[in-house]
Amino acid sequence: MNLVQLKKRSTSFAMPFKHRDVGGKVLITSTEGNFLLLTHEEFAAFASGDVPRESALYARLRDRNFVRAEANVAAIAERIRARKTFIHYGPNLHIVVVTLRCNETCVYCHASRAEMSATHTDMTPEIADATIDKIFATTNPNVTIEFQGGEPLVAFDVVKHIIEKARERNKTAGKRLELTMVSNLSLMDEEKLAYLVENKVQICTSIDGPEHLHDKQRKLPGLSAHKKATYWIKRINDEYARMGLDPTLYHVEALLTTTREALPRWKEIVDTYVALGCRALFLRPVDPFGFADRTGPRVEYPRAEYMEFYRSATDYILELNKQGVEILERFAAIFLTKILGGEDPNFLDIRSPCGAGIGQIAYNYDGKVFTCDEGRMLHEMGDSTFLIGDVGTSTYREMMGHETVQAMAIASNLDAQPDCVNCTYQPYCGVCPVHNHKTQGTIFGRMRESTLCAVHKGIQDYLFEKIGSGDPEVMAILQRWTTVRDRTHFLQTCAT
Amino acid sequence: MQGFPDELVAVDLGSAAISMRVDATLYPLDALYGAAYVFLDRCYVLLDRPTPTETRVTLSWKKGEPPEGALRALAGEFANELLSCAWRSKINEENRAMIEAATAQALGGAMGPPSLDDLEKFDFTDEAFEDPLGIAMSWEEKYGKKADGTSATRRGPHKEPK
Amino acid sequence: MTEVRFHREIYRGTAVDEAVKALAAYATFDLAEEKDHWVVRVSAKDARRERRVAGELGNYALGLTVKARGAR
Repeated sequence: MNLVQLKKRSTSFAMPFKHRDVGGKVLITSTEGNFLLLTHEEFAAFASGDVPRESALYARLRDRNFVRAEANVAAIAERIRARKTFIHYGPNLHIVVVTLRCNETCVYCHASRAEMSATHTDMTPEIADATIDKIFATTNPNVTIEFQGGEPLVAFDVVKHIIEKARERNKTAGKRLELTMVSNLSLMDEEKLAYLVENKVQICTSIDGPEHLHDKQRKLPGLSAHKKATYWIKRINDEYARMGLDPTLYHVEALLTTTREALPRWKEIVDTYVALGCRALFLRPVDPFGFADRTGPRVEYPRAEYMEFYRSATDYILELNKQGVEILERFAAIFLTKILGGEDPNFLDIRSPCGAGIGQIAYNYDGKVFTCDEGRMLHEMGDSTFLIGDVGTSTYREMMGHETVQAMAIASNLDAQPDCVNCTYQPYCGVCPVHNHKTQGTIFGRMRESTLCAVHKGIQDYLFEKIGSGDPEVMAILQRWTTVRDRTHFLQTCAT
Repeated sequence: MQGFPDELVAVDLGSAAISMRVDATLYPLDALYGAAYVFLDRCYVLLDRPTPTETRVTLSWKKGEPPEGALRALAGEFANELLSCAWRSKINEENRAMIEAATAQALGGAMGPPSLDDLEKFDFTDEAFEDPLGIAMSWEEKYGKKADGTSATRRGPHKEPK
Repeated sequence: MTEVRFHREIYRGTAVDEAVKALAAYATFDLAEEKDHWVVRVSAKDARRERRVAGELGNYALGLTVKARGAR
């Protein structure tokens, strides 16, 4: 009888690590987010502790703190600290839904917009003032007020009221204040534009791709939503250029909501964004909130199909970058900043714990306050699980200490989450308890069945394949995507 | 039921219910509570303990006839959620210090220190902690003069030494 | 009549009591104690209602037990 001698694996060579097969190699990551891509032979040697000290592999492992005997604990601690700086501060993103009214009807509307006659869904000045009080109570020195709707231009008076009050308030509060607006741009005119430009409001819009696709999904009665949006994108960009602002830094940002119709049109979508002068394209999958819950049979798709779309689109974007076209994919940029940069860009949906309550708050038109925009969207669907207060009756601390905020912080902590706790991508990833609650009935969720997890894993697999390909041109592009340049023009300077 | 061991999962089509036998040593009661709670909106859940090492879970369809495959899906999803809860329970046990530290820091960072208005609302009347050695008592309380001018006998919650 | 048996190691007795009180308007309840169970016998005007009340009773008692962190 032949007996196989099973060699006991060394448990003293390696620092704690996780591993995953990616693109024919083995990716290893450490607690603090260092990574290496190894051949299978190298990985076998590493895992069994059979790495000669004088070898090139040993040097690579040592330099990335994978060798226990030579681990630089101070460096590890510093790296973890750098990834978690956000944890010391309260919400920086304050989403203010100034109205639910909207003049467009989008097939996937996550906001559950209301008809234009529903003026009762406009925020009152009193609620706006109470909202501003809560915003400036944040412990975060950075504050971004993001106007959303419905369509915020429908309630432009409310927007102006908040801008003026916020700027006045900030004279004493001294926050690093920024203002942004998410708008379909169809109600923009020269007067509104002049006001927004003068008051340094950053503008973001939605472009679903080429005209026929955009207009099919975003109905503007009697008009082309695409024509309106693209006209004003160009107009606003021209205005920034006229003001002498660097067009590579100052331009309208546009977002994509990927529906089933968009999946085969990845090239047209990217070309549309490039033609509009956009420098970023966020290939967001459709969410299960708002109208998308009902129109799911029409707009939804298996996430494997989304990943095919994502890979094709991002490969094309990389090719364009090689030809000198400056455009990045936003999901990739977020993950790459964590992977290559060792920093956290504080994208609230992809961090641990997530930003629900502690990183962002959503204020509804009626003064109700939610842990996040998704929580507010769910409320409009009849589920108020993520309601944490009211601007009229709750104090800031009461809302921050709300048991729902506590629950979200625990539920989104990847160190507490089955699957995530052992996942190779844990240092870079995040979960959405609201998404879990909506799709699986529990804020904790089961990641193996989560469409969001499938997207996050799929994108990171793609990125590590690219990193592991050894193509220096691609690496240079990916590194560029991690560079965040401050758009200081939009910083509100409120002289005291 | 297809895909499940017959001895562990039974279907009662007449009652539109399934019952599952769960090993109580593998799936602690906390995990069962966690999993069962998730399903309360979708079905009627009843837990029982036929033997000391076994829990029986009965999931009954709430309204009308369950569509084809629905009971099987219910059983499968419950089993997955139960496993998830059981594992989460273990993870929380092992990582408790890290989770508590992160949560405390996140909430503390967001809440910030209490304002004077917040402090005004705090209820300081209750005893904050037990004080067996009388440490929290002031000197006057312990040794101060009584109203008639004589010294107070030493007071305190601890016994006088023999 | 439908019998619902609540195991003492799984359900909190007070949770069962509260659940019965909450549903008192919808059926008649007869409570009994056995060595290992609290037993509630539910009688309603028809079988469908009885099934529903018995089911809601179980869910309510379980919900309250979980909220109170268990049977003890």
